[in-house]
Amino acid sequence: MTGNKTFGQRIRDLREERKAKDPAFSLRRFAEAVDVSPTFISKMETGEFDPPAPDKIKKMAELLHVDADELLALAGRVDPKLNDIIKKQPKAIADFLRTAQGLSAKRIQELTEQLKDESRKSGKR
Amino acid sequence: MKVDYLKKEQIETATLELIQAYGKKYGEVSIPVPVEEMLECHLGLGLEYGDLKEATGFGDVLGATWIKDRRVVIDTSLDPTEYPDQEGRCRFTLAHEVGHWQLHRIYFEIDPLQRTIFDTKDSRPSIVCRRSSSKEPIEWQADVFASYLLMPTHLIEAAWREEHGSSVAYQAAAEITALAQRFGDERTTTGIARRMAARFKTSGQAMQIRLKDLQLINASASAPTIFDA
Repeated sequence: MTGNKTFGQRIRDLREERKAKDPAFSLRRFAEAVDVSPTFISKMETGEFDPPAPDKIKKMAELLHVDADELLALAGRVDPKLNDIIKKQPKAIADFLRTAQGLSAKRIQELTEQLKDESRKSGKR
Repeated sequence: MKVDYLKKEQIETATLELIQAYGKKYGEVSIPVPVEEMLECHLGLGLEYGDLKEATGFGDVLGATWIKDRRVVIDTSLDPTEYPDQEGRCRFTLAHEVGHWQLHRIYFEIDPLQRTIFDTKDSRPSIVCRRSSSKEPIEWQADVFASYLLMPTHLIEAAWREEHGSSVAYQAAAEITALAQRFGDERTTTGIARRMAARFKTSGQAMQIRLKDLQLINASASAPTIFDA
């Protein structure tokens, strides 16, 4: 295992920041909440171990009150829910993603907002 | 390393000050004493579990402290999640390292020469704690600190009264003799010490020593008490 220093450091920083005020972020209690050992968290934070499975990363994000997608991206992992989404409509979603891949981040965000808007409106009906 | 002599009472006072300061910030301390939270949250030290045997070359290493880096590392063989039967020893080692921080960091802060040799980033730890080094004064002091921190007199006495309804000592001589006959001299932890240890999350052995110290366990066969009459 090569580990991931950036991811580890990010978790360490977030945890250190919170632990001074809240003992729930001590190494052991945080590890227990994520359902891994303190040794695992330690070695992940120092970059000796790779980040864990996506569900554990999402749990860490929830505990640390940060965006799960940010941590997943840092860890180089994909939310397993995305797999399910693609599997439900393999052709349509794959086409959709391939088409979108050339767009700028700004344009993707605009389209995302537009889609969110539409689904909000259709939800009201 | 040479350290000034400290009386047991001075060390106990140091643990009570820490317990009180922690309590003010995070709420009154109850059992099991939150030793990790004291180390990490209150004292603001970085805690890690790492492979100290490899790093130090000592097969019997338990913990190490880097004073300048404000960093404590516990050997992975004591990880209480991976090895639940090591919980007591792990907590004792944590409390022992807290003891070094509270009692001994001054020696590393005031000696600039020592600091440059032993305490630069990524260098050797300031203090390495091993099973076999526990007789050195610096290690003895940290052990005494750990014992008082994890098993403070007022909390032991309160728990004892809960268990027994009074502060009367347990006459343990017969049980200890029977245990020694059955298991040998190494395993003479009485049932009451084991029960108390479970509540305080310490080893049975450490608890028994503390209870003897507080004269709540009386291990000598012939000592008469006022209750013998």
